[in-house]
Amino acid sequence: MRFDVYSPLALSLLLAAAGPLTGRYVAPAAAARVLAVAAVVTAGATTWSLVLLGAALLGDMPPAMRGAGQGGAAADPVPVMIGLAAWPALVVVGVRLHRAVRAERRTRRALRRLCAGHPADTELIVAASAVPRACAVPGRPGRILVTSAMLGALGPAERRALLAHERAHLAHRHDVLVTAATLAAAADPLLCPVRSTVVYLVERWADERAAAAVGDRRTTAHALARAALTAQRGGAVCALHFADRAVTRRIAALQSAPEPSLGSAALAVLALSTLPPLLAADATGDLFRLLTGAPL
Amino acid sequence: MAGTGSRGRAERRSAGELESEVLAALWATDRPLTPAEIQAEIGGGLAYNTVHTILKRLYDKGLVLRDADGRRGAYRPAKNAAELTAEAMHQALDRGPDPIAALQQFVTGLSREEERALRALLAEGDA
Repeated sequence: MRFDVYSPLALSLLLAAAGPLTGRYVAPAAAARVLAVAAVVTAGATTWSLVLLGAALLGDMPPAMRGAGQGGAAADPVPVMIGLAAWPALVVVGVRLHRAVRAERRTRRALRRLCAGHPADTELIVAASAVPRACAVPGRPGRILVTSAMLGALGPAERRALLAHERAHLAHRHDVLVTAATLAAAADPLLCPVRSTVVYLVERWADERAAAAVGDRRTTAHALARAALTAQRGGAVCALHFADRAVTRRIAALQSAPEPSLGSAALAVLALSTLPPLLAADATGDLFRLLTGAPL
Repeated sequence: MAGTGSRGRAERRSAGELESEVLAALWATDRPLTPAEIQAEIGGGLAYNTVHTILKRLYDKGLVLRDADGRRGAYRPAKNAAELTAEAMHQALDRGPDPIAALQQFVTGLSREEERALRALLAEGDA
């Protein structure tokens, strides 16, 4: 327990470091899936560890309350301070999760509202707007929302690449992966870099699908470049994304050979993500023994 | 730029996807397009009859209009729903957290040097 209960925290840091590397060397489809799963599992284990630390505080109650004959403070694996800190930390996790879920709901509702008034069986929703934008609207059926300014800026083949890119987001349920990573990062802020990597990787994944659909990586790269320049002019991109160089990196990736699907690297990350729950489970057993007065 | 699609083998497109492409082509330009022009624009060995069928379907849905006073047989996109969507989008942008930026957006922001690099890339492609 002494060691196990803290390990999910250490492993979240490790995953945060390994995530971007996985993204660089493994095909985006595999990397995005593995990282999203690993993030959710690790966040779950981290939260459970906090519950254990908080619960261990109960073990610090006077010996009379948990049965006589126990070893006293020397046998206590969790310092009182940490036990006390675990409770506010759990409240913070709860509040962050609640906020993240609400923000997610609000976004989806707002996007669905944009699709109102268009026939149900149409994939493409055009907004007659001078602001150049494009995005996929998840749902049943999923829709592609593009403004007329964005369509007008692209050539025919580039428009095809754009549509294929958004279609890939919908077909492969990228919203689920991103939402999962977002909630994991809300519960465990150490995982924020993993969330960013997943967000980047689903874009790369969709780029690769678009390149396959158009049959040309170069056209896809040009579509990205032109769309980014147009959006820049139209002031449509928010400043938050400013420094991440994501578009340039995606274009560079399209200009080089596709990443190999390194199954072994993906498996290593997946194996890494099974450690937190295993160790957390072990710590759980220790806690029960502690609370029931059995020898540790 | 033209003809870059012939570089590799493109995947087959479904009826729904073709509908989106025809609609996108009509929205991309200010003038009405004839089926022949759309056929040339979309390429990929699409039959003239197919373009006609797609246009008819879009027309039945009220997404395109036949150009009454312009050239015979030309089509233009219907604006009503698209303008409502634009209005709702601008309202959402004004109100606060941008729903599109919160979700996967096709592209994100650029720095000055990135902007220059991308312009160079496109200039080299067009040459």
